[in-house]
Amino acid sequence: MSTIFDEIKDAIVDGDEDLAVELAERVIAEKVDPVQAVQLGFIGGIEEVGKAWTNGEAFLPDVMMAADAMKAGMDVLEEVLAAGEGDGGYEDKGKIVLGTVEGDIHDIGKNIVGALLTSAGFKVYDIGIDQKAEEFVAKADEVGAKIIAASALLTTTMKSQKTLVEYLNDNNLRDKYKIIIGGGPTSAKWGEDIGADGWAETADEAVELCKQLLA
Amino acid sequence: MLPKFDVLTDEQINKIHKNSMRILKEIGIEFSYDPVIEIFKKHGQRVEGHRVFLEPDFVEEMVEKAPAQFTLHARNPEHNLVCGDGNTIYMPGYGAPFIYDADGGKRDATMADYDNFVKLAGASKNIHMTGGTVVEPTDVPDDIRHLKMAYSHITNSDKCFMGSSSGYEFARDSIEMTAILHGGLDVIKEKPALICLINSVTPLKYDDRMLGGLMAYAETGQPMVIASLVMAGSTGPATMAGALSLQNAEVLAGITLAQCINPGTPVVYGSTSTASDMSTGSLSIGNPENALFASASAQLSRFYGVPCRGGGGLSDAKTVDAQAGYESMMVLFAASTTGVNFVLHTAGILQYYMAMSYEKFMVDDEIAGMVLRYLKGFDCDSDEKMAFDVIKTVGPGGHFLTQKHTRKNFKTEFFRPALSDRQSFDAWAKDGLDTNQRAKARWQEVLANYTAPELDADVKAKIEAFIEKRTKELIK
Ligand code: B12
Repeated sequence: MSTIFDEIKDAIVDGDEDLAVELAERVIAEKVDPVQAVQLGFIGGIEEVGKAWTNGEAFLPDVMMAADAMKAGMDVLEEVLAAGEGDGGYEDKGKIVLGTVEGDIHDIGKNIVGALLTSAGFKVYDIGIDQKAEEFVAKADEVGAKIIAASALLTTTMKSQKTLVEYLNDNNLRDKYKIIIGGGPTSAKWGEDIGADGWAETADEAVELCKQLLA
Repeated sequence: MLPKFDVLTDEQINKIHKNSMRILKEIGIEFSYDPVIEIFKKHGQRVEGHRVFLEPDFVEEMVEKAPAQFTLHARNPEHNLVCGDGNTIYMPGYGAPFIYDADGGKRDATMADYDNFVKLAGASKNIHMTGGTVVEPTDVPDDIRHLKMAYSHITNSDKCFMGSSSGYEFARDSIEMTAILHGGLDVIKEKPALICLINSVTPLKYDDRMLGGLMAYAETGQPMVIASLVMAGSTGPATMAGALSLQNAEVLAGITLAQCINPGTPVVYGSTSTASDMSTGSLSIGNPENALFASASAQLSRFYGVPCRGGGGLSDAKTVDAQAGYESMMVLFAASTTGVNFVLHTAGILQYYMAMSYEKFMVDDEIAGMVLRYLKGFDCDSDEKMAFDVIKTVGPGGHFLTQKHTRKNFKTEFFRPALSDRQSFDAWAKDGLDTNQRAKARWQEVLANYTAPELDADVKAKIEAFIEKRTKELIK
């Protein structure tokens, strides 16, 4: 007989957002252990998809839909998890504020980075495109994020990544957050030049980077 | 000239057209720029906030106003170009921020690179105009990049070129500079001399900056390419027919707007739609889907009676290798033989528009030469060309190498490679250079031997004065 954990896992693997939410609601209604639901169900599912993606068996829509389903289900469970219900308690791997910088409206790469970070167990707050430094920081402050991740696809908007670092410096907030940057025209050198904490060329490298920074 | 072949049946064209019209009418399209909303309201179209719902009859009526072809005027009239009418116009890659060099290095592009690519395009007999934003000159402040870029095209060559479309103000600057070059705004209103690239924001949006640019060109009667880049699978549906319908809806909306602003203003129907790489989400451009989108767009633009932009020497390779060659040939060949008129990105592009390479430029120049020769097809118009007499003279078993007819004709009938190696093995093995290395030697030689066509000193001074004045205003 399959357990609700298996059902959740399958819902995630199928990228079925509605079902993931429904199952999360059942977890609460039937007083199932939420931590186990997360570990065995949601994380179990996303890990399976992640592995298949790394092996080249799954494709981006599989990963991104799984990440969306996971996010939707976890949002339902957020309250009971925060209340510390369940065996051992659950904590995400870290909160990350993600956005595309001011003047830039490219968002495909950012969305992919967000999905892969989510699937790796980070809690991602995506603030969207064309965002000012203060908006990144306000969100990070609000949710208690440890990492701020800024995407820029134009040589003309890369300087907004610099502005972000400077904004934190000017407000004596630099030590509070790790800043990572990425996007087509950026480079490791640019990251160093502006004093960011890290740069990644691709979304999976972004995941590794965040793991290292929070280790 | 070769007849252009079709990739869609008439019935398929109709289905795509209807689907696009339905998208525009039922889903609508978003224009962020308020003046544009007013224009559509004035023309009786339904507007909700920034979303505009276009009536099929209205779109058809407006698109009808766009000319089937136009002449783009160069400073040297020998380089005037007819866009449309079965012609093919080649030019360098557009917008790349990086340079990849022959030994695998990567660096930021600079103004010096910019000048070099303009010169290489100026020197080439296969590249018809010098393009625009041939690289992003990252060492020039972005407030004045558009001025420096236009100056490079104006002084380094006398071929046609493209101007800025980054907002109304920058667009006006490029138009002003071109006006000075040609003797005034009135002159270029009569004889269009500057073209730009306007992009939709797929799916179904146009942003402020592009719309500002569009208005500046439309007002002054300068042509523009109105293009959509659907990344099928990510910014558009994963079906070819769906992505093509979406692209078509966006481009038609843009053309409609341009015709509302200035009826009869020349436009080019543009497509760079292609497939996404579904493992990484990355753009990919050196593929059969891109070739099909370019060909289908050429056919759609024939259906609508406007010239077409699409294709190019497009590749996802990171260096000049076999992949760079076969991908580029596929997309350029398909676009050219199916009737694309304006081929942005013909030469130099590597890794899905991220980089320009000098070596790749020379390879693409060679490919362009081969394709242009192919497009000329067979000349059957004279007895001379049918060659009966010389066949009779030589008769069975002879050879043609010593015939006057041969000497007279081979130079115009055959393509002569500038880069490809046709030597014997031993001759080749002496240096053993591969295409990449030969291309490197070749561009260096072309640049070393290039002299820019002279520009009237008075005109040059006026343009420089304009740049100086604008630089003071733009850099605070
Ligand atoms: C699609 C596209 C658009 C679409 C964007 C649609 C959308 N919803 O995003 C539209 C049409 C709107 C557009 C507009 C413009 N674009 Co554009 N666009 C592209 C294109 C073709 C693909 C971008 C993309 O989505 N790639 C796929 C994703 C998956 O890759 P990615 O974004 O690089 O992300 C990966 C990594 O970089 C990394 N990453 C990304 N973000 C982050 C963040 C962090 C923190 C980390 C760690 C990692 C990371 O992970 C991702 C996954 O691996 C690129 C060319 C290219 N090859 O990139 C040009 C390109 C970026 N655009 C360019 C330009 C010039 C423009 C325009 C100015 C006008 C124009 N000529 O088209 C406008 C500007 C609009 C604006 N104000 O932002 C130039 C930029 C050149 C430059 N100056 O730097 C490029 C390079 C094309 C070119 N050669 O001309 N564009």
